Amino acid sequence: MTTKSKVYITTSTSISCAGNTNKELFSNICLGKTGIKNNKNYSHDSNPAIGTISSDLSFDENLINQCKIILENSDLSNFENTLLIVGSSVGGMVNTENSYFKDNHYKNVNVSKHNIQSIINNIQEEFKFYDNISFSTACTSSANAIGYGYEVLKKGIYDNVLILGVDSICHTTVGGFMALGVLSNEVCKPFDNNRDGMNVSEAIACLLLQTKKTKNCVEVCGVGYSSDAFHMTQPHPDGSKNAMQKALNCAKIDTSDINYINAHGTGTMANDTSEANAIESLFSTKTKVSSTKSITGHTLGAAGAIEAIISTMIIQNQTIPTSTNLIDIENKNINLSLETSKEDINYVMSNSFAFGGNNCSLVFGRVK
Amino acid sequence: MNINLEILEASFIYDKNDIKELNTKELVPKMVTRRRLTKSAKIAIYLSSQINSKNERIVYGNAYGELKSTQSILSSINAKEQISPTVFQNSVYNTAVSYLSMLEGNTSEIMTVSSGDITSLNILKAGAIKALDGDEIVLIVTEALNIDHIEDMNKCIDYLEVGVALKVKVSQKEKTMNIDSTNNQKYPPSVVHMLNIAKSYDKVKENIIEITL
Repeated sequence: MTTKSKVYITTSTSISCAGNTNKELFSNICLGKTGIKNNKNYSHDSNPAIGTISSDLSFDENLINQCKIILENSDLSNFENTLLIVGSSVGGMVNTENSYFKDNHYKNVNVSKHNIQSIINNIQEEFKFYDNISFSTACTSSANAIGYGYEVLKKGIYDNVLILGVDSICHTTVGGFMALGVLSNEVCKPFDNNRDGMNVSEAIACLLLQTKKTKNCVEVCGVGYSSDAFHMTQPHPDGSKNAMQKALNCAKIDTSDINYINAHGTGTMANDTSEANAIESLFSTKTKVSSTKSITGHTLGAAGAIEAIISTMIIQNQTIPTSTNLIDIENKNINLSLETSKEDINYVMSNSFAFGGNNCSLVFGRVK
Repeated sequence: MNINLEILEASFIYDKNDIKELNTKELVPKMVTRRRLTKSAKIAIYLSSQINSKNERIVYGNAYGELKSTQSILSSINAKEQISPTVFQNSVYNTAVSYLSMLEGNTSEIMTVSSGDITSLNILKAGAIKALDGDEIVLIVTEALNIDHIEDMNKCIDYLEVGVALKVKVSQKEKTMNIDSTNNQKYPPSVVHMLNIAKSYDKVKENIIEITL
């Protein structure tokens, strides 16, 4: 079909272990100040480094609060003409865990507080939306949510879209990634030869997508989706390369137009080697690359949304962040950013990859 | 905005407890792969084989995720035992459709919707929006709720295992059937919108639905 509208991120907000505001988040990323800490609460026999939100409010209260911040900073008086799109990998799993671990049975598990829809159920107690939909594709959940939001606005179907990338830390994710042997006890070292795994983390990241330009907005220029069709947990470089190429095609730009790639860069051996190979096969060394997960941790289903916010702030501040903890570079054929630097930035790509070989790349652009 | 979709193919299967006739041995000859499949994956693979799929884009969905894997993980944590890595990788909501993509070599865009009771309605909406690009889209919804102690949480669903697949494309023709959300036979609410369409599908007639966004 013929698409008509341009799509802009007009306001955003986040809370994560790396900061309770976007400003704190971006400052910490540029300064290399991590929010990751060792935490024994989720394992009886190890001390993984993970990221938790530090706040006087509960996770659910923070979720409502983040939506209020969006409303205050937007030109909307309510969300009644807004499509809500949630991306989350575990939804309300923490509620089910709390109930089951306390009772040793499932009789008191509240099903409406368990699944992905539980996030929307919470929000709808406070706000009314035109419609809603949730995506759950593990660690690409909120990247896919942004991609879908871009599509529906571009096709002129809705006027406003609120993206919520949401995942709270829980025993299932910490224990699960520990079982896979990919959790580090230290702050992760994406793309370093000596990396030893990832840091599971939690976050709420919200972006308002609209077709109207506002002051300081950033354009969502394109999305590329692909599937590896290869393995449940081992990535294949062709899949991520395919997603990046599709995103470029969608944005109608070339690889040389991308100034910076915010990599998925989890700090696991498998992801970083595969992603670096995919980037090397497509991009020249003119394009800078870094992962910000050594500051935020891997916020799983929220990762695509929080990294979209980071990408937005990179464009707004014309600043490429350093690769915190990167000392011994594994792949020297990609241009990993080694210091925070002021640059002329027109386009940023953000990568998200997930279990099942689900890939999503997004392209963001400066509005001139 | 309304988008009309032509239903090109439809398939459904359900059982009160355990769907048995899924042809999994024939459809997944490699035992090492077959043994890793979740029940939802087996249902999705069976349904895909029934609708002549050819690596189209897929919008898949379920309301509750992989409950059997989730339950196994929670039991392991509660017993202070190591979680099985295979069970953990099989616990994500997109597990079933990921195995389907691997089996069919489908490198296309594959989405997983999870919208509680309106999951299959939202699959239809997302599918309609994707189909505006002009291609045929495969829509699949599954639920596999037959886990130990399900009676502790479930008081109203009789059919614990259900799957529906539709292949759709955008049509300019008038609608010929309604999207019926009635659920008289106690299926999971998350599947009923697509299940009712699949049940009403008549392959010798035109089957056009109207999606209201």
